[in-house]
Amino acid sequence: MRRMMVPIIGGLLAVIGVSTPIAAATAKPQATVHAHRVHVIVIDKMQYGPMPAGLHAGDSIEWVNRDIFEHSVTARDGRFDIDLKPGASMRTTAVAGTTAFFCKFHPGMTGTLVVK
Amino acid sequence: MNKTFVTLALALGVGFIASAHARQTTAAPALNDAQIAHIAYTAGEIDIAAAKQALKKSRNKDVRAFAEEMARDHAAVNVQALALVKKLGVTPENNPTSESLSKGAADERKKLAALKGRAFDTAYVDNEVAYHQTVNSALSGTLIPSARNVELKSLLETGLKLFQSHQMHAEHLAQSLK
Repeated sequence: MRRMMVPIIGGLLAVIGVSTPIAAATAKPQATVHAHRVHVIVIDKMQYGPMPAGLHAGDSIEWVNRDIFEHSVTARDGRFDIDLKPGASMRTTAVAGTTAFFCKFHPGMTGTLVVK
Repeated sequence: MNKTFVTLALALGVGFIASAHARQTTAAPALNDAQIAHIAYTAGEIDIAAAKQALKKSRNKDVRAFAEEMARDHAAVNVQALALVKKLGVTPENNPTSESLSKGAADERKKLAALKGRAFDTAYVDNEVAYHQTVNSALSGTLIPSARNVELKSLLETGLKLFQSHQMHAEHLAQSLK
């Protein structure tokens, strides 16, 4: 009796797919799949445009400087530091977490990226 | 506030009062767009000259970075200002305010030229704080309200945001030099 129960229980668990290590390993990537998107942040008239909602790790952020002045996007934690001449644009890849940044040329310009 | 800025404040204050008076009697503002453009351009050139002086005399990393910022940003505004007056077919018109600004700035540069090291750095940055305070008051109180052309007004408004940022930077720098 005991010999028969083991494969039956094992088979049931595999069908349910929640308690075996193999089932968990295959289900997890499906739950976190996210198509990477490109978010544009425009800098103009001495300020950063609105921060995009729904930023995910791996997404691209395109920083576009439409101002007549040179600006930078400089992370306070040193994670990134990009310089943007007037009219220039550059892409960075979003990393999970909250990152405060500022313009090193105009320290009054600040922003915060929230990436899930 | 030193003599330079008292002169500027008085010049612009008189202009503003005259402007208010003019509105009661005639529609013409005390300062026309050609004069406003000249004043704004002159104010930028003065700060560029001050920045160049600082870059020659100062060895302080932060002061030099600030001076580079002043030279770069004011030059950018003035390039736009020149392009705009050309587009509008306006010839910037010299006026008593521009003249008193230039004279006051020349006196200030002479005073700063006699200083060295920390004394120079402190005097230069203190002067930048006072200068930006005065120019910002003039922009918001007189020049922007008096500007008639929409593009000129917009450029002055961008200039005001920039100069406010400069003032804040100068104030932080002045604090760190104490």
